[in-house]
Amino acid sequence: MKPDHSEILERCRTAVNRRFFLGRAGLGLAAINGLMGSPGRLMGSEIPVKPGVDDVPHFQPKAKRIIYLFQSGGPSQLDLFDPKPELKKRFGQEVPKSIYPDERKTTMSNAQSQFATSPSVFKFNRCGKSGLELSELLPNVGQMADHLCVIRSMHTQAINHDPAITFMQTGAQIPGRPSMGAWLNYGLGSETENLPAFVAMSSRGSGKGGQPIYDRLWGSGFLPSIYQGVKFRNQGSPVLDIYDPAGVDPNVRRTMLNYLGKLNEMKFQSTGDAEIRTRIAQYELAGKMQASVPELLDFTQETRATMEMYGKDVGRQGSFAFNCLVARRLAERGVRFIQLFHQGWDQHVNLPTQIRRQCIDTDQPTAALMQDLKSRGMLEDTLIVWAGEFGRTVYSQGTLSPRNYGRDHHGNCYSVWLAGAGIRGGISYGATDDYSVNVVENKLEPHDLNATILQQMGIDHERLTFPFQGRDYRLTDVHGRVVHDILR
Amino acid sequence: MNGWQMGVGRIIKKTNCLIPIVAILCLVSTQSTGDEISFTSDVRPILAAKCFNCHGFDAGSRQGDLRLDRRDEAEYVFSGAGDTALFWERINSDDLEFRMPPPESKEALSLEEIEILNQWLSQGSPYEEHWAFRAPVRPTVPLVESEAIRNPIDSFIRARLIKQGMTPSNAADPVTLARRLSQDLHGLPPAANVVEEFANQSSDKAYSDLIDVLMASPRYGEHMAVPWLDAARYADTDGYQNDRYRYMHVWRDWVIHSLNENMPYDQFVLEQVAGDMLPDATLKQQIATGFCRNHRINSEDGSIPEEWHVENVVDRIDTIGTAILGLTVGCARCHDHKFDPISAKEYYQLFAYFNNVPEWGVGPNNGNSPPFIEVPKSWPNLSEDENVAILPAPLKLREARKGQMGNGLKRPQAGSPQTVMVMHEMKVPRATYLLMRGQFDSPDKSELLTPGVPKVLLSSLAAQPQSRLQFAQWLVDRENPLTARVAVNRVWQQIFGMGLVKTSENFGTQGELPSHPELLDWLAVELIESGWDIRHIQKLILQSTTYRQSSETTPAREKEDPENRFLARAPRYRLHAFALRDSLLASSGLLVEKIGGIPAKPYMPPKIWRAISNNTYKQGTGDDLYRRSVYTFWRRTIPPPMMVNFNSADREVCIVRKDRTNTPLQALTQMNNIAFVEAARFLAERMIEHSVDPRIAIEFGFISLVSRKPRKAELILLLDAYSEFEKHYRAQPKAAKALLSVGQKKRNENLELTEHAALTMVASLLMNLDEAVTRE
Repeated sequence: MKPDHSEILERCRTAVNRRFFLGRAGLGLAAINGLMGSPGRLMGSEIPVKPGVDDVPHFQPKAKRIIYLFQSGGPSQLDLFDPKPELKKRFGQEVPKSIYPDERKTTMSNAQSQFATSPSVFKFNRCGKSGLELSELLPNVGQMADHLCVIRSMHTQAINHDPAITFMQTGAQIPGRPSMGAWLNYGLGSETENLPAFVAMSSRGSGKGGQPIYDRLWGSGFLPSIYQGVKFRNQGSPVLDIYDPAGVDPNVRRTMLNYLGKLNEMKFQSTGDAEIRTRIAQYELAGKMQASVPELLDFTQETRATMEMYGKDVGRQGSFAFNCLVARRLAERGVRFIQLFHQGWDQHVNLPTQIRRQCIDTDQPTAALMQDLKSRGMLEDTLIVWAGEFGRTVYSQGTLSPRNYGRDHHGNCYSVWLAGAGIRGGISYGATDDYSVNVVENKLEPHDLNATILQQMGIDHERLTFPFQGRDYRLTDVHGRVVHDILR
Repeated sequence: MNGWQMGVGRIIKKTNCLIPIVAILCLVSTQSTGDEISFTSDVRPILAAKCFNCHGFDAGSRQGDLRLDRRDEAEYVFSGAGDTALFWERINSDDLEFRMPPPESKEALSLEEIEILNQWLSQGSPYEEHWAFRAPVRPTVPLVESEAIRNPIDSFIRARLIKQGMTPSNAADPVTLARRLSQDLHGLPPAANVVEEFANQSSDKAYSDLIDVLMASPRYGEHMAVPWLDAARYADTDGYQNDRYRYMHVWRDWVIHSLNENMPYDQFVLEQVAGDMLPDATLKQQIATGFCRNHRINSEDGSIPEEWHVENVVDRIDTIGTAILGLTVGCARCHDHKFDPISAKEYYQLFAYFNNVPEWGVGPNNGNSPPFIEVPKSWPNLSEDENVAILPAPLKLREARKGQMGNGLKRPQAGSPQTVMVMHEMKVPRATYLLMRGQFDSPDKSELLTPGVPKVLLSSLAAQPQSRLQFAQWLVDRENPLTARVAVNRVWQQIFGMGLVKTSENFGTQGELPSHPELLDWLAVELIESGWDIRHIQKLILQSTTYRQSSETTPAREKEDPENRFLARAPRYRLHAFALRDSLLASSGLLVEKIGGIPAKPYMPPKIWRAISNNTYKQGTGDDLYRRSVYTFWRRTIPPPMMVNFNSADREVCIVRKDRTNTPLQALTQMNNIAFVEAARFLAERMIEHSVDPRIAIEFGFISLVSRKPRKAELILLLDAYSEFEKHYRAQPKAAKALLSVGQKKRNENLELTEHAALTMVASLLMNLDEAVTRE
């Protein structure tokens, strides 16, 4: 039988205490287990501290870490990744009902009197040696085209933001399941002593509007809460309460921690509750984090060239560029799952103007992140995922003019891309019909994408399970197949 | 193809291959204890985990026309018993094509499991009905000769300890007991004089009186309400997308008042599920039904109302299933339940009870969704005339975006902050069909469903409840096998930190078996026969010798029973998030006690709501910052991070059990959060005001937080810490000033700066002690 919730917690706690009693390693690795992830695989350690999932990884992983660049709002596949040059000829014509039936149109546009075909105003270029076709909106990412695998055949049942984004991140439209990062954290544990195993960050682009970003997207659902992601806040203190209050300097804090440790130890001696030892360790770790988090966000050691590569916004906390550079620094420090949520792709009206701004914000930093990782030899074992929650309609929402249109939500097809660890670069996968409405080749569901992502981390998505309410759950529920065609 | 019968002929030629496995099994079996194998505790969990997926209750996924959840349906695989039964052959074969479970299922049986099944087969493979589906009968209280037996709880617990060969602990000292009672009943530390008074008398009478006094305080309801609010997914916003405001605090206050009045649990359930349908329903009974409307409501532009209406109804059933019945009925939404005998059809028959609300699947995008009613300004002190159920205003739909071409979405009218959402029945019920795979747009129109409860739960004599009211009455019927057990288990869980059934959300066949089945049933019957008197059950527990034990432990004891399931000692655990904050505020003197009303907005990190567009958290001022946590504004998609840090439920869906973690983020919050630093400042003020002598002042602060006097060694350390802080702040008056300016409340400027700052750090140190935030 697989261990349940509290058994896992218990084992986790015991592991923490065992490490604590050993002393030699100090409090670091041991203590981190409490919050920051499950106990890590200790190099050369004789103590089996891995709780929960003993057989993970199931096979040799291709990726050591994931940087997931989530693009919230539903980026338009038609204007970025799925070229349909023939559509120019059908400008303004009604999209046939045989192609786009009424049932899955959202109630934002289902009562329109017409559904006029609106071809993209943007050119597509053949990029890199591979000649992968990408929109002119992505010149920098285009230079990295030979690393990219663009999937044009994604499909989702959801047509609204909340269910769709929840589906992408947790494998179910209705909230309550663990996020992908929590699953990975549960399965793989932590590699770092001083930082969380799973970090989420958010940013807002210059595109108008932004869909909400919820705690559940990095939440642990029914998994023990130690596996949830830590969201770095995008203004002020990045981790809640990481800074000492005004008037308390590091010496005062150290003094306080010393006495606190002694008093708690006395309490342990009189009651024998091992949980007190864990608490002592967690306070020491908290003290360490108070140093390591500010260091993480201190860019003064970065070269000027590096800073310039990420673009002008890199110094501004809360920008996509800033988060991309933080992502690289987290990756270097052993954080396994780094997830950026970038808002602003929900372009119901004035799409050409809005998406251009959105791409200016993201294209350069995205390419810089890849280039930066590559130059450090880390692209080989870092899986980069670029995805939104759905695509957009080929028909114009609102009035169509030659240079302007809007697009409504569209779940029947959308595009995402992967790069890095074990991914075949310079290819596209799957295809849509002439209108980019329906998938006609190699249809993939979010479960398939998630199964493939887990695969690269050495996890068989069918075997990473957790017992809850009487059955074994997994990220991909009862679905999902690994897309071997896009793997090297 | 019938996979089970297919291979019968082949087993013969494979027989010799079985020998090595049999040899291994013999080795295993020599280690087993020779006890009779129990179907319920040994066999069924294996069948459920490894077999029922393909050979269970769900006809849709059943393979080979074989179901193993019922003995009478599987006779042919068990006939012959022992190693001649087909079942034996299939699980013991080493022919991978023949063996069950098939390797591709990734559910291989372990050697130990095979051995259990083999032994069971040799006993004639007897089945037992699932324990929780039979109505509880009061069991005989075991005879245990001991002066320590105060009531039957002790008899059951001691009898089990004796069987385990474990010794119970001594009683905790009176100070610890007074503190424990106060924490368990109020979620707050006791006042110093209460502790002192009790410690001086320390008789059984004084103990019992103390319980009564604590139960009579309104703080009782505020604390006891929390698990129910979690289960009822109470929140102040709609959840989903822009997560707009709703106004349900009147319902929250109904819960607190009901608990303070010790409303019988059957009435508590009845009114919340169908109070609106009671004859001559009062307004309060109507308000109680807000319980069924606490689910999230989607307001996102573009949503399809039919789709989200289904989610509302589903959430009602899931919540009642989990909170009242302890069943995971939700599994049967898409297919017959794999493990418990609940079919998809039965799920939608439950659905039918809750499908007749005149509601719209999409919300108004700010404010309450119909049906709602106006609450009189005099709430909760309603006059007799006011306390009469009223007709909710009918649903009025409007175009979501008038003038915006093509937007087909319609929204209902929004209820103001003076309204509360309630249940109401449509004159003509909606047609309910089985939704294939749970999809709103795939109704199976071949059969119109009538309301009904799953047959397995219906006693053979009872008729199917016809209406939501009858359903509610069935929930609290004497013959309902689950309601009373689930209720007493939750009471137990709240006090001991873990239920007698650990999986308090699941009493079904996949849930854990109770650690003390007879005790659970005894308490369940006691609850019913006491007139569903929850306080009576609580008092029995609190008065037991079991409860009064010390929580001290040793590595040997921990090893003996790491989870403390047998209760040879009292549990010791970190306070619930709400109790933790409230306790520290109470010790500092900042806590503002006022029952009910609109949600409070205490300190939050700056711009906490920015992740949701166009939204600002307008932090409260003055008293609003220091109210009990049960009143904190709860935004579902961004719940208060401090609370979430300490494992509070997120209130998205029904939650009846949360784990307790111990993390560095909690340490950071306790050390650095503005609320706690401010509380430390004010505890320091109280300390100085108590005495100018640091030793006495520190002793006072210590008692305020942990209820006992510091030991000498502790006091010496604290005085050393004080003098270090004092030295530091004497040299740095600016820092002292900065520290004493954290938080909104102004300090008493008459106090000496250095002393105040240094004692603030000591107070903060005390607040971070393990003991300060632990129930022991």
